[in-house]
Amino acid sequence: MTDFIKNPVVALPERNPAPHFSEQELVFSAEEKARIARWVSQYPTPDGAVMWVLWLAQEKFGFLPPEVLRLVATELDIPYAQVYGVATFYTQYFKEKKGTYVLDVCTCFSCQLTGGCDILHYLEEKLAIHAGETTADGCFTLQEVECLGACGSAPMLQVSNGPFVYCLTKKKVDALIAALRAGRMPGFTSVTLPQDEDEMGGNRRTDVESTIEYAALPIAVRTR
Amino acid sequence: MPSVTIDGRKYEFEGRPGLLQFCLDHGIEVPHFCYHPSMSVPANCRQCLVDVGAPVRNRATGELERSDSGEPVIRYFPKLQTSCSHTLADGQVIHTKRTSEKVGRAQQDTLEFLLINHPLDCPICDQAGMCPLQIQAYKYGPEGSRFEFRKTHKPKKVKLGPRVVLDAERCINCTRCTRFTDEISKSHQLTIIERSVRNYPMTPPGVTFDEPYSMNVIDLCPVGALTSADFRFQARIWEMSSTPSITTTNAKGSNCYYWVRDNLVLRITPRENPAVNAYWLPDEDRLAYRRFNEDRPTGPSVRMDGALKETSWEAAYGRAAEILAAAGSGTVFLASARATVEDNYLLMELAHLTGGTVAGYLPHVEPGHGDGWLRTDARVPNGEGCRRLGLQPVDTASLVAQIEAGAVRALYVLEDDPVAACVIDLAALAAVPVILHYYNTTNKTLAAADVALPAATVAETIGTYVNEEGRAQCVRPAKAIRGAHRTLMMRMGLSRADQHGTPFDRWHNESHLINCKPSWEILPAVASAAGHALDFAGPRQIMDHIARALPAFGGANHKAMGPMGFKLPEA
Repeated sequence: MTDFIKNPVVALPERNPAPHFSEQELVFSAEEKARIARWVSQYPTPDGAVMWVLWLAQEKFGFLPPEVLRLVATELDIPYAQVYGVATFYTQYFKEKKGTYVLDVCTCFSCQLTGGCDILHYLEEKLAIHAGETTADGCFTLQEVECLGACGSAPMLQVSNGPFVYCLTKKKVDALIAALRAGRMPGFTSVTLPQDEDEMGGNRRTDVESTIEYAALPIAVRTR
Repeated sequence: MPSVTIDGRKYEFEGRPGLLQFCLDHGIEVPHFCYHPSMSVPANCRQCLVDVGAPVRNRATGELERSDSGEPVIRYFPKLQTSCSHTLADGQVIHTKRTSEKVGRAQQDTLEFLLINHPLDCPICDQAGMCPLQIQAYKYGPEGSRFEFRKTHKPKKVKLGPRVVLDAERCINCTRCTRFTDEISKSHQLTIIERSVRNYPMTPPGVTFDEPYSMNVIDLCPVGALTSADFRFQARIWEMSSTPSITTTNAKGSNCYYWVRDNLVLRITPRENPAVNAYWLPDEDRLAYRRFNEDRPTGPSVRMDGALKETSWEAAYGRAAEILAAAGSGTVFLASARATVEDNYLLMELAHLTGGTVAGYLPHVEPGHGDGWLRTDARVPNGEGCRRLGLQPVDTASLVAQIEAGAVRALYVLEDDPVAACVIDLAALAAVPVILHYYNTTNKTLAAADVALPAATVAETIGTYVNEEGRAQCVRPAKAIRGAHRTLMMRMGLSRADQHGTPFDRWHNESHLINCKPSWEILPAVASAAGHALDFAGPRQIMDHIARALPAFGGANHKAMGPMGFKLPEA
């Protein structure tokens, strides 16, 4: 966003891009179709399920080029333009090809105060790319994002629209990158809420792989 | 009857009207951008805010609570309401900007937000002068902006389709255009893309905005974001006159305005008429403006030594009269579904006077062209008018047979082109003298014409067209033709400068005046040259006569037609 303030230029998307996927690839399997049918049945009109189906398509194809959006529109029998509008509205839907892992580093208020920008710059140096770019090996895409709603355990980043990694330090970042290079995604971690510790046992979730207790660390410990 | 109080005045209402439409219907000005009566209400421009209060009722008894003075207690909504999405209920009290400072302040702030990323390029914007954003910024807006940063730069001059150009920076995201393609034309070719300050309407990749009604979004756009590829940068609004009339591209007779500057029709826009076209106009009707300006004849001509030579009107009338006299009852008159009812009637009268026969009219039907909305299979405006005059579609085979047999000793063609319509072969006409009323030099029958008489088009004449639903509509001249004509000048459309400028300003000029005459002037002149009397003072008198003489036109005089047309009795 900061770059946009300095240089507020909105580029025109390519009007007639060459397709990335062939006709044979652009199909949903019977199992996927069944899932789509179930989602559609949950809403009064089929366009209600568009976000589910876009998500499914992104998981299947990796990103959402126009031909995939057309496939989603055909599958739901809704206008292609509507699907395109929804897909461009949400930044989590990738309109271009991204790296295997997309690292969304938060640099919004809380994370910025606790060193989110330092983490971003550390990652930029470590991966030798700028925010918004993908590494040459296609392994990582680094993005600067706005608040992801985990201010209590700032600074944080999100991996590929999935698990959050909290309370980042350079050491933690090194470990994360090494793990990802080895193909190990971090698990979903629940952070306890200190105000609920007494009554609700920290409001721990039982369906996650790990839980960490909330602890506000001094800024210096995390980033320097 | 339930009632509401708006700005201290009581209004009664029926049903469940929307507040904004109710205000507009009662002449109460409420600024708005995104609301359009024919489309869904998104309430996203936030400009039509009003303060709404409802009478308080006792929950237990359901009775109105009253103050000490006996007045009902009014409890106001905690926030201002968008009047477009608010449905009226009995007893409500509404304050617009006129009685509420809060509303005025809110509308001012909304405008400040809308203008933050608006380029303010009004001096070069096509919409300037008729731009709701410009007008409302002037009437309701702040004195200046507090935004001191760089404005967003979005794509400019993007050709969305062959006829519509987008300037995304000017867009205020009212979604009128996308709602038009979703709800009215149902082409689904536009959507708002991206989010926050980056969003603007766009076609999805691989889609061209080329639907047959695409240009309606240009009129719908409350700013200059969507402009016509043709009309872009051609003229300022205040330089043009806009004349209410109808289009003649098809048999629908959609109501329109002809916008004219320096005697050139520069654009055609829809005119609201719920009985015909509502608010819309197909692109084919709008693009017809070119034929009023281009390939127009320079004057009447007669064939001498095998070539058409320009001559005076009198000489042309004289030659036509000679041909008619020589041919006598062997003259075949071809009526025209492009000409007005008045002109066709005069042609029938002329045929009657000279003893010739009227072969009928060319219906110009192209099956499959119509879409059940504003485009019709018939590509001509007045087939129904001809039918009601008692004319039939011409029997092509019989006409051709007659010509080949030499039974046709002269052919009088009124404002049509039988050669281009592939009805008659040019070679077949070689031996037949042809008198032709024509609009454009592209008329293919011109090659066979012995007397070529330039006729006034729909934008230059007065007359009546009957659309395929039997609605008689009167057209009036939008542009001047050469030679002052009192009947035409009286009803000519005026521009703002014509109305408000002084006569010495010379706002308008004499350029591009076409040397043509309306057929209701040519036909009596030809009759008179041939020694017959075909005396009518003008098209109004002709129509009066037709309305009296023919039951199919009962009551259809020019006054009854007015600006919205007159539904003729079932024929």
